[in-house]
Amino acid sequence: MSGARVSRPAWFESVWGSTERRRILYAAIAAVLLFVVGDLVRPGFASLRSIEAVLVVASFVGLVAAGQTFVILIGGIDLSVPWVLNAAAILLATSSLGHNDRAPLAVALTLGMGALVGICNGIGIALLGIPAVVMTLAMNGIMEGLTLGLSSGLTCSSCASYAPPVVQAAAHARLLGIPVMLLIWLAVIAVVSVLLTLTRFGRSTYAIGNNARASFLAGLNVEATSVALYGLSGFFAALAGIALVGFGGQASLGIGDPYLFQSIAAVVIGGVYILGGRGHYLGAVFGSITLVALISVLMALNMPEYGRSIIYGVIILLLLLLYGREAGES
Amino acid sequence: MAPLSSSRRTPLWRHVLVQNAGLVLAVGMLVAALVAYVAVYLATQHRLPGGFELTSTVNNTMPLVLAGVAQTLVVLTRGLDLSVGGVVDLTNAVTAITLGDSPARNALWTVLILLIGAACGLLNGLLVAVGRLQPILVTLATLSIFQGLAVRVLPQPGGQVPEGYTALLANPAAPTSLFYVLLLAVLWLLFRRSRLGIDIIAVGNDAQASEAHGIRVRRTRILAYTLGGVFSAAAGIFLAANSTAGDATTGNTYTLTSIVAVVLGGVNLFGGRGSAIGTILGAFVTTMIVNVLFFAHIDPLYQNFYEGLFLVAAVLLAGGIGRLLGRRA
Amino acid sequence: MSGVAGVVPAVEAVRVSRAFGGVRAVSEASLIALPGEVHALVGENGAGKSTLIKILGGRTRPDSGQIRIKGRDVSLPTPEAGHALGVWTVFQELTLLPWMTVAENLLLRREPRGRLGLVDRRRLFSEAERMLATLGIEHVDPRAQACDISLAERQLVEIVRAISHDPDILFLDEPTSSLVEREVAWLFGQIRRLRERGTAVLFTSHRWNEISSIADRITVFRSGRDVGSFTTLSEDDAVTLMTGQKVDTLYPPLPARPEGAVALKVAQLNGPRMHDVSLALRRGEILGVGGLAGHGHRELFFSLFGAERAQSGTVEVGGRAVRLRSPRDAVRSGVGLALVPEDRKTEGLLLAMSIRDNLTLSILPRLSRLGLLQHGREQGMAETQARRLKVRMAGLSSPVGSLSGGNQQKVLVGRWLLVEPQVLLLYDVTRGVDVATKHEIYELIFALAGEGRAILIYSSDAEELAHLCHRVLVMREGRIAAELAAPGITAEQVVAAAVRDRLAA
Repeated sequence: MSGARVSRPAWFESVWGSTERRRILYAAIAAVLLFVVGDLVRPGFASLRSIEAVLVVASFVGLVAAGQTFVILIGGIDLSVPWVLNAAAILLATSSLGHNDRAPLAVALTLGMGALVGICNGIGIALLGIPAVVMTLAMNGIMEGLTLGLSSGLTCSSCASYAPPVVQAAAHARLLGIPVMLLIWLAVIAVVSVLLTLTRFGRSTYAIGNNARASFLAGLNVEATSVALYGLSGFFAALAGIALVGFGGQASLGIGDPYLFQSIAAVVIGGVYILGGRGHYLGAVFGSITLVALISVLMALNMPEYGRSIIYGVIILLLLLLYGREAGES
Repeated sequence: MAPLSSSRRTPLWRHVLVQNAGLVLAVGMLVAALVAYVAVYLATQHRLPGGFELTSTVNNTMPLVLAGVAQTLVVLTRGLDLSVGGVVDLTNAVTAITLGDSPARNALWTVLILLIGAACGLLNGLLVAVGRLQPILVTLATLSIFQGLAVRVLPQPGGQVPEGYTALLANPAAPTSLFYVLLLAVLWLLFRRSRLGIDIIAVGNDAQASEAHGIRVRRTRILAYTLGGVFSAAAGIFLAANSTAGDATTGNTYTLTSIVAVVLGGVNLFGGRGSAIGTILGAFVTTMIVNVLFFAHIDPLYQNFYEGLFLVAAVLLAGGIGRLLGRRA
Repeated sequence: MSGVAGVVPAVEAVRVSRAFGGVRAVSEASLIALPGEVHALVGENGAGKSTLIKILGGRTRPDSGQIRIKGRDVSLPTPEAGHALGVWTVFQELTLLPWMTVAENLLLRREPRGRLGLVDRRRLFSEAERMLATLGIEHVDPRAQACDISLAERQLVEIVRAISHDPDILFLDEPTSSLVEREVAWLFGQIRRLRERGTAVLFTSHRWNEISSIADRITVFRSGRDVGSFTTLSEDDAVTLMTGQKVDTLYPPLPARPEGAVALKVAQLNGPRMHDVSLALRRGEILGVGGLAGHGHRELFFSLFGAERAQSGTVEVGGRAVRLRSPRDAVRSGVGLALVPEDRKTEGLLLAMSIRDNLTLSILPRLSRLGLLQHGREQGMAETQARRLKVRMAGLSSPVGSLSGGNQQKVLVGRWLLVEPQVLLLYDVTRGVDVATKHEIYELIFALAGEGRAILIYSSDAEELAHLCHRVLVMREGRIAAELAAPGITAEQVVAAAVRDRLAA
């Protein structure tokens, strides 16, 4: 009786149950629809340049959403993203002082910082039993305090440094006509997808998200995997910080704040189950695009910020209700 | 009939201690924080803190106390309300633009504003209980909505809260708002013994078992969120009264600080256990820490660092003490 | 068919059916109980008794069929509806609220109230005290939180709660699973009192001596329906009805006692609920562990697997001393322990993931190179295992949650067989599994023993232990209270050793 269906590659089936595929499709359709609507409202919205611009901005959300995907898949969450991102932006600028020859070291240092903070989160959550909401919330505060304190409120001598030219180029330049930022995002998508679908680590992640107790009893190292996942979340938040400071040139305060809500919303819109165990990063990718496209459409409609806020929330709720109804989850 | 086994009764005090470990820890933390505060104040100001310090501390803490109580009600049902800050923003804004000179009008508007809070909470409750959506996602979305509405109501900080109103709520001359704190504590003790209070705790313990015992789980959840909205609105009103003007964004921090107060107060984030009195104490602990840091001349930029560290330490301490007393997590 | 002429039945189920996601738990089952009758429901796990009780208690709605209470057709959408009609149930899964006190649990929804309609806590505790004392359970502290009292005490509290409502119809689902002798005697005293009062008491049990001592009537269930109702019934006849087979053909013949090397040696293991437990298990031997719930067998198994920490004692596997700090240590080849937990839904299977993923969960390191999974090899191994165990499924990619209970259990066992363990720990593996699958599992166990694996098995079914094991160790209050050796082990011996309590001396 086995093997009576059309044969698909084993790995494909094992992660892409039809509900997940449907939701990724919904997120993709939503993104496309938004571009169409946007073009109706402001002709030229769906032009190549315009779409590109949206995609580049979406890539920042997408980077943070990569980390958030990892932790949400095991039923956790990372509320420390805003200030890890901000700290990374500032750290890159101040450690490189705008020089290219310091860039590799600065980037490595910054990414290392992000990963380290994430690992601390993971240790608190997986080893010390602190609820994820509390631990990452506290860590956000810790990072905010450290960042503000060590940089004296961004008034330190090196704080006005620019990001190294090579980093700025990565955020702005093009390669073969495609923005480098998008190429970087594509690379991230590839790496994350491979990690989740083709590796033992990815399989463990889904298993833990499905049932941490059963995974523990099956011999999986739940603690180490969890710590690593939070480390990845910190890493990607730092990566986004580097990209943002490259994009903006200089570091500033508060640049991380919008990314908390956006990263979580992108992940959920993309069909990743908030309690863990189901979903794929590709969904978060389309979720990020949808969110940024939504903001852009609202801005094109000359909607003031408060209106954007309201519509944002309403759309998220509608999508949640749509998803909830479909799968009958509670 | 012969007893099934010998009665070894645990003394009452031990029961109270073990079952209220979180509350006891909160008291301990508050005492420690107060001692530290007085010590630091004495060392740097060369006198004991006086009436003015007490008054401003209590007035500044009241909004957090109310927001914390709001969060407590939701957390007890095993939920989380991230929209607390948004409701505070909204009600703060509305308070600032609607209050006038007529006490009757002010009273009416106060009630209406509390109802606005209830409506916000009701929305959350319906989505969670009937829509069967996860609280963290629902309230993240409604936070956005309420924040947007707040800015719409009051685009720039402004508005005016009449002096008499402020004197009633957040009297700058004397610590009269302690009365409200006591009132809240008494209300909680009564609430804990009411039908709804018991139902909320039962639902947080085990929703399925509660259902089997005839408790209307959906209705209980909806009421918890709605009541939470009322207290968040009260926090917004208080905030406006204390600052004598309105601001549609200062309430944002209350989302996170209300969770901090709840955790410090020994309320379990997984629901079913805890007391709003603990949260009230937790709110004061939070303010005390800020005061200690201030008077110890700790660079205010580092404030969040110490608060975050403290939160982690408090959770670990509570867990450690729990294990020491041999409780199951 | 109604009851004795003129007597209106207290409760009646008429051709009730209920399916859960395609699996028919109850299929046209009927039942009649008269007032003042003590009625036992017997049957294998999964035969439908618990589901029928849930239906009659208002916990679940039937898909079809009729429920009659005191002669009137009723519909019970909630347990509350049942309460209003005098129907009270003590379910198998205890429903005490863990962080509320015993008193609050006992008097939930009927707390004594004082002024302002608020609960009067002093009266709450004194009334709870009185209630417990009246029924003879004064050793349970009403001020203790439900999560802090023992499993047996929780079961007693649930029973007290139900009885205190003065029910006309009382359902007790496995009420004695964690009670020692004198507690069982207490319960039966209460049941007799209720019988005199005219209450219909329906209960489920696996222990024949209990059933025969108190039941006025016995209804046997098999495959979701009733297959006979009797006033007297011998155990052998009951087993034949429950399983559809003659007793002698239920179990395959026990293989000869092996003389192999010692595969597992435990010395003076102490830990949560374990006191000085020692045992030795040889290759090819099947060693059973029996005992009441809460008496240490669960802790023993989980400690041996590294899932729980023992405080002191030594464990040797294959002659080598091991320190198992986590299941990961146990699984690593060379040590080879494998645990099949009883609660496959919460502790064993990843219900939303595929059969293949569930099968290979414990051997991922073997199936990956440089961190990358070798899907071809994985598919092959999963296919082979599923075929070997004859798992009935639509395909390896189907979610394991779509399988029947028996097939789910096979997948769980299959996962552990892929680990190729020296010692296999089986914890209540046949719970909730249909008879045919049980047979297959028994044969598998014997085959594994024949291969030279050492098997430590716990079962809540004493009959199973008696027929499957070369030796049985019975645990009581954390110690090995008795050792029984085949041939000639009987379920009675196992149960007797388990329920005897020291206070009875």
